[in-house]
Amino acid sequence: MSRKSLVVLSGIVGGLTLCCGAALAHHSDAMFDHDSTLELTGTVKQFQFTNPHTWLQVVVKDESGKEVEWSLEWGSPNQLGRQGIRPSTFVVGAEVVVHANPMRDGSPGGAFVGAKFADGKTVGRWN
Amino acid sequence: MMKKHTLKPVIVAVVAGLLGSYAHAANQELPDWSGVWGMMGGTVFDQATRTGEGGSTTPGVREHPPYNAEYEARYQANLALRDKGILPDPNSLCGIPTGFPRIFNLPDVYEFAVTPREVWIIAENGPNIMRIYTDGREHPPEQDRWPTHTGDSVGHWEGDTLVFTTVSLHSSESGRTLVDRTGLMLSDAAQATTRMGIDTAGRLQVQLTIEDAKALTAPWVVTKRFNRLEAGTRVYDYACNENNRNPIDEETGWTYTIGPDGKVIDKAKEQ
Repeated sequence: MSRKSLVVLSGIVGGLTLCCGAALAHHSDAMFDHDSTLELTGTVKQFQFTNPHTWLQVVVKDESGKEVEWSLEWGSPNQLGRQGIRPSTFVVGAEVVVHANPMRDGSPGGAFVGAKFADGKTVGRWN
Repeated sequence: MMKKHTLKPVIVAVVAGLLGSYAHAANQELPDWSGVWGMMGGTVFDQATRTGEGGSTTPGVREHPPYNAEYEARYQANLALRDKGILPDPNSLCGIPTGFPRIFNLPDVYEFAVTPREVWIIAENGPNIMRIYTDGREHPPEQDRWPTHTGDSVGHWEGDTLVFTTVSLHSSESGRTLVDRTGLMLSDAAQATTRMGIDTAGRLQVQLTIEDAKALTAPWVVTKRFNRLEAGTRVYDYACNENNRNPIDEETGWTYTIGPDGKVIDKAKEQ
């Protein structure tokens, strides 16, 4: 993976387990490594504003330049909607930097933590 | 004649009393539980009966019902599966009610609809609706009962406190339900008495006293509290199968993740 595109952030995950464990209460979240946080830089392909969980699909270039689609799971649209998140929060084609707790087995997926847009706006938890 | 004259006022008084009692019940000023409520304390039943920090999916967190040795061993086995992320929880399958008492232990929000003859517990995370009859009926006789997720609940008002009993619940051994995500279990002998009312802090307090002659050595008393959310808060439907990208492997209990092409993206099954 390109260091510009995908960076492992350590030591910034304090408190995230509580946040995201509750958000993902519909199922076990054992597949996610809540002690690790990835930083992904890419382009929004889709924001699935659906139950039981929302999914942000982001296309990220790996080290070889190949585009890889990442699936990032977030809370339910009901929970997020009450917090001001909308289907239009992530516009298709937008450049975005995403923090996520990665899947333990290295698959291109994770638990969404927060995101920052090109204009500096952030959503979710952004430290 | 004397007897008739003597009884007449008594009968009138009894009938008047009954009618008055009925009218009082029918016209009783019911408490205002309107609005939308959020559960406090995460998906654990009672801070006083748990150990460990975090939510119920966090290894180390457990509840302490007064289990007998047999059920404590079963619970420990479930905790071990939970710690590995492979506890089979019907709640993860989408479309299956969590039932009682877990209906009071869900994320998302709640509405508590008080009507003259029934109270409805409506959880956004569902399908989870519970009906409590307050019209004076009793539980069906034993031969007319069968286990369901929310059981049969009848109750009455003691001032502004709703008191109800619940019977005819699915056993955790049926595979249809678990009491919480740590793997709490109850048997087919479980029944409960619940008291619901607004406390001095304005929170809706739900105190459950659960008895289970097969699983518990004493009543398990647990309390959940709910905060009234900002006026105007909306509740949405919860179509769990709308886009469930986390199916459960029936053999291993592992939760998979489905990728954008509809195929499993993780390799956990091989690990």
